[in-house]
Amino acid sequence: MVLTRAGICKFLQHFFAKLRNFLPFSFVKENVLVSTYLSFITKLNRMRKFLLRKNKKINVVFFVYLFVTISGFLFSNYALGEDKESVISEGYSHEEITRGERFFKGLLPFDRNFESCVSCHNIKPVDTLNWNPSAMDIALKYADKDFAAFEKVILEPSGKKMSEVHKNINIESEDLKTVKIYLDEMAHKGHSKEKINVLWLIGIIFLVLVILWALAELIFVQKIKYKLVPVVFLLGATGWLLMILYQEATNLGRQEAYAPLQPIKFSHEVHAGLNQTDCFYCHHTAEYSKSAGIPSANVCINCHIIVREGTNSGKFEIDKIHYAVDNDIPIEWVRVHNLPDHVFFSHAQHVGAGKLDCKECHGPVEEMNVLRQHADLSMGWCLDCHKTRKVQFVDNDYYKTYKEFHEQIAAGKMDSVTVAQIGGTDCMKCHY
Amino acid sequence: MEKKYYKSIEEYQPIDGSPNNYKNLAKNHIGIDEPVSGSPSSRRDFLKLFGFAIASAAVVSSCEQPVRKAIPYLIKPDAITPGKASYFASTFFDGNDYSSILVKVRDGRPIKIEGNKLSSVTKGGSSARVQASVLSLYDTARYKNPAISGVEAEWEKADAEIIENLKAIKQSNGKIVIVTPTIISPSTLSVIEKFIEEYPATKHIQYDAISANAISLANQSVFGKEVIPSYQFHKAKVIVGFGADFLGTWLMPVEFTKQYSKGRKVGHNKKEMSYHAHFEAGMSLTGSNADKRIVTKNSQQKIVIANLYNEIAKQLGENTIEIPASPVDVHDVAQRLLAHKGESLVVCGSNDKESQVIVNGINYLLGNYGSTLDINSPLNLKKGNDSEMETLTKELNKGEVSGLILYGVNPAYNYQNAKGFLNGLKKADLTVSIPSLKDETAEECKYLCPDHYVLETWNDYEIKPGNYSLSQPAIRPIFNTRAGQETLLKWAGVETEYVELIKSNWKKNIYPSSGFSGSFRDFWNTSLHNGVFEKAVGGNLEINYSKSAIPSGIETESSEGLELELVESVAVGDGRQANNPWLQELPDPTTKVTWDNYASISVRLAEEMGITEGDIISIDKQLSLPVLIQPGQEHKTISVALGYGRTNAGAVAEGVGGNAYPLVQHNRQTRIYSKTGVKVEKVEGEHEFAKTQSHHSMEGRPLIRETTLSEYIEDPASGNEFHEKVKHHATTLYEKRKFEGHHWGMAVDLNSCTGCNACVVACSAENNVPVVGKEQVKLAREMHWMRIDRYYSDDIENPEVVRQPVMCQHCDNAPCENVCPVGATTNSSEGVNQMAYNRCIGTRYCNNNCPYKVRRFNFMDYTQSDAIPLNTYDPAGMTVDLKRMVLNPDVVIRSKGVIEKCSLCIQRIQEKKLDAKLENRQLEDGEIVPACAQTCPADAIVFGDLNNKDSKISKFFADERNYHLLEELHTLPSVGYLTKVRNTEAKATKKKEIKH
Repeated sequence: MVLTRAGICKFLQHFFAKLRNFLPFSFVKENVLVSTYLSFITKLNRMRKFLLRKNKKINVVFFVYLFVTISGFLFSNYALGEDKESVISEGYSHEEITRGERFFKGLLPFDRNFESCVSCHNIKPVDTLNWNPSAMDIALKYADKDFAAFEKVILEPSGKKMSEVHKNINIESEDLKTVKIYLDEMAHKGHSKEKINVLWLIGIIFLVLVILWALAELIFVQKIKYKLVPVVFLLGATGWLLMILYQEATNLGRQEAYAPLQPIKFSHEVHAGLNQTDCFYCHHTAEYSKSAGIPSANVCINCHIIVREGTNSGKFEIDKIHYAVDNDIPIEWVRVHNLPDHVFFSHAQHVGAGKLDCKECHGPVEEMNVLRQHADLSMGWCLDCHKTRKVQFVDNDYYKTYKEFHEQIAAGKMDSVTVAQIGGTDCMKCHY
Repeated sequence: MEKKYYKSIEEYQPIDGSPNNYKNLAKNHIGIDEPVSGSPSSRRDFLKLFGFAIASAAVVSSCEQPVRKAIPYLIKPDAITPGKASYFASTFFDGNDYSSILVKVRDGRPIKIEGNKLSSVTKGGSSARVQASVLSLYDTARYKNPAISGVEAEWEKADAEIIENLKAIKQSNGKIVIVTPTIISPSTLSVIEKFIEEYPATKHIQYDAISANAISLANQSVFGKEVIPSYQFHKAKVIVGFGADFLGTWLMPVEFTKQYSKGRKVGHNKKEMSYHAHFEAGMSLTGSNADKRIVTKNSQQKIVIANLYNEIAKQLGENTIEIPASPVDVHDVAQRLLAHKGESLVVCGSNDKESQVIVNGINYLLGNYGSTLDINSPLNLKKGNDSEMETLTKELNKGEVSGLILYGVNPAYNYQNAKGFLNGLKKADLTVSIPSLKDETAEECKYLCPDHYVLETWNDYEIKPGNYSLSQPAIRPIFNTRAGQETLLKWAGVETEYVELIKSNWKKNIYPSSGFSGSFRDFWNTSLHNGVFEKAVGGNLEINYSKSAIPSGIETESSEGLELELVESVAVGDGRQANNPWLQELPDPTTKVTWDNYASISVRLAEEMGITEGDIISIDKQLSLPVLIQPGQEHKTISVALGYGRTNAGAVAEGVGGNAYPLVQHNRQTRIYSKTGVKVEKVEGEHEFAKTQSHHSMEGRPLIRETTLSEYIEDPASGNEFHEKVKHHATTLYEKRKFEGHHWGMAVDLNSCTGCNACVVACSAENNVPVVGKEQVKLAREMHWMRIDRYYSDDIENPEVVRQPVMCQHCDNAPCENVCPVGATTNSSEGVNQMAYNRCIGTRYCNNNCPYKVRRFNFMDYTQSDAIPLNTYDPAGMTVDLKRMVLNPDVVIRSKGVIEKCSLCIQRIQEKKLDAKLENRQLEDGEIVPACAQTCPADAIVFGDLNNKDSKISKFFADERNYHLLEELHTLPSVGYLTKVRNTEAKATKKKEIKH
């Protein structure tokens, strides 16, 4: 391939277009990136030529420059920001949207004597539970409804909780319209992508720089009198880096404490904790099937045909179940506990036969508003339990097959049988 | 002298010690010397791949965990529990194969077919084709929408246009013809009746691609009943077959294998077995199982049959037929038959009426009617009348037929005069096809109205009088198809769901005489639950034998020159399911060739013609096929399998083999599947077969042990003397391993196993065994966890054959285990040799160290389980989402670079153990049935707990006939084999002390 500038451009554009599907953060437009990258290469080349001309060894300056440029390149994604295109829905002007946004955020009206919308309805996704529907939730729900319906719900709410909160709202119809426009625009545009925490990236770059500095110091510069100093820095930084790598590698695919937000703000604390609903009422297949079963919507409806309004969430969340059932649209829950494909796990084995309590693996679910993965679900964690856990050896007739163990128990040589003793640590108990 | 076994002709050693002259005929080398890609890889390639690997690793590792969704039902159906399979009783019938089945459904999609034990016909067995049919359901080539002149259309539009056309034809008194395969469904027949009521000028023709019309015609002339009798092979002490492959393809192979193996089993309480003599030209599955296989030309078959008739008639004082002397001796067979009058059976697979008439005569003279075969309780199969199709073709060409409805038939492929038929078809005003799978005929018709696949539809069947079965949908229709019956009803102006029609038919016709005590609703639900409803019919033993039907003399054909024999393939049957990768990759039971059909010729003919294996010959200038040299083939007969050479069946079937249907003859009322005076010449080209035959060879050690019946009666351990010796000499430094709880074991009765291959497909379906394609099979990379070894012994011109299913032997002292550097394969506390795929790093040391060669290595990513898309190698489209629906979710798919092998269906063991725990009881013997044992129509495979001394498996292991493969290595396999017992004369030479 001829390495022409156009060729590189084309390749890079293609490459970044592919890459952005994989990367967790959003890139700026490809052409911005490409030009940044190209300028970087040009600078690098110039630098090299300069160094050659000066007939100097490629020294530390070069490395430093290299890394500064690379990190500059990486940060450019964030520094340049997102170039969002505004989609104006149905002929509304940008001004109307901005005005709506101001009303929503409480900047207007000036003489406001009621809570702003945003104080309850968050605009950005939050990590903690907000019982109230987010701005996006509302936006999506009312996107294809007319203004009259929207206004009616805002100003004359039917639910107990909402009428309590909304009773002071005093807003002109014209102004409320702009709020609706703002929300419509939001629904149209969709979620803004979450940005990742770049701290770890800075940390790693810092460690790499330390290593390079220490190496350069040891080999080229040799300015520090005590060799021990750079050696300590070198070993420390390398060790730290390796530790990070090791941890990241073992945690690959593990999701301890994973607590995603769900499409419906279902709270285990309310259901299992406050209302003492039995786990098996909803997860009724846990005792006899491999899967514990995310309850089908008809199970929810059993109670929620009467309970139409929640103490905390009002009607908004419960309405979602009815909406799903009425319109035949399945609810897409986010799966919290994920095992790799090559692991066979059966709830029936553990709950039905092993008589384990749900809590032993799932933790204090009845205290979780947003469900969180309690254990790390690693193989070590499984085996730790298999090695010590006692099976229902005497109570379950199945184990009569293990005659010798029964004889030993009768003779007083054994008092119980662990999972491992009946083959619970065999590979093919879980992997097949 | 000991028997010398050989797996292929190059291994053959003539008994007299002369050199093997046939060695050079074979070119069965394994082509490992050629890399698959064709171009050698270079340093640059390495660098490219290296760079790619780093780049992809970087991309993959930078990915966050994907957000996985869990989408529950809105309203959960009662019958479905997520994570648990439901079984629906149903019936498989595609016009050719019949089996009462259970469909295993996981989360709404059928993933496996099992035999239904409640059926008295198939008794829980099924065939390879039935097992594979679940994959045909997900065939991506199926028609997805109705079409008009090749353009997809709405049902409403197609219906309206067709009804308009039909009405126009009705007004102009035009003729309408509906062509179907044999219909054994009473309700479908009533649908066609309803159609005929609406359009009275309609004629219904049943057309079987592989016809058995001669049998019904012969019964018509001899007994006055145009039917095919039902057979009871288990009642026969002497079975004589004339070219009828009743264990592989003829009529009801599943039922016949059940019966046949029942009569062949020996044990402590049953020291007798049936005697089976088989006259045939090519080596068929049935012939290779016979005690005595007599090689006969097809053209001389009739003479042999008539001679046999004469031998019997003479002794019984009946009139004889004037014929030339038999080319082979039939005296011995006749004596045996006469010694077992009323307990013998003669069957003939020829579609020549006169042969069948004489066979009827023989069976009648022997008093077999009412005992081993029954004309009053006929099999409802193969009802097609061959001459009707000829008439139809003529009428079509004359333009006498205005409307033609082709419902489930494919004459453009499997009718010998396909060209003539298609020419005529163009002259009809209205042409409609109702196919369920993609075929050659459908697109020739103007209207294409796709039918449901058999697993998506309701239907009822009556295989024998009083023997009803139902099929029910196991999945919602995948595509925009409609049951063919509903389609016809709609055109006949009847608006009803087909299932309602079936119900009302059953209420009217079956329920009143059923003797069922409950309401109809209960009756229907019970029948639907069981899949079958059977009531005793008959006791009618009366038959009217017309002696005059037996000819006094017969015309004899010239038997000069070469002959062609067309046979149905055991793998793809009549070709209907040719687009099924499981069936294409299934090795033929005899030749062990996959993904091909070929011309089988005898070693002598090959020598005479100077042909070597893989050369290409043209047959009558109509068909060019590669040559396969087949031991036991009749000298001048060439055998070719039907069912290959599909041109429009989907990507898998296309380009595989050649279509032999155009070589089918039609004379004397019926279609004849053989031809005399064939001209054969060698043409340019060479072909390499994808044979599994000599892969994984076991180097001629005493793997097969056999004896004869008389020796067995004398000493049950005969032929198995080595077992005792090994046991005696076994010493070990190690303590004997103890198995607490269970110790799983499996045994295969070589005497029952016919080698039908049903287990191989069942295993593939159950364990997500990948399809690797022809090129990979050539490199000996087939992935089947279970293989059936076929050994020849003795004379290469008519060898004895023995088959042996081999799967992982689950050694207690396994050589594979201690060479694994990463501990990926270990022995479980229950005696199962386990394989942890995710631990395997692919050194293949275990594969090298396994003396049984049962471990399979994933050379490519056949299942698309890797994250790197470039690794995928998928020659048969098995990684398409639709086809992946057939995967068993309880068994993980394996990625590139890992070893896999038989797990004794560990998922089934675990499932049943869990069931027992949940029900607070001990496991029962026979509760756990691996997929292979479940499907085996011969009940040759037994599985159970060796720790349970009363279990069937323990009894098998204690049997004198039991031995283990390579037991002298002290690997202590958990799989045992029972010696094969042949009902032949004891050979004095065989009783030789085995040295140790």
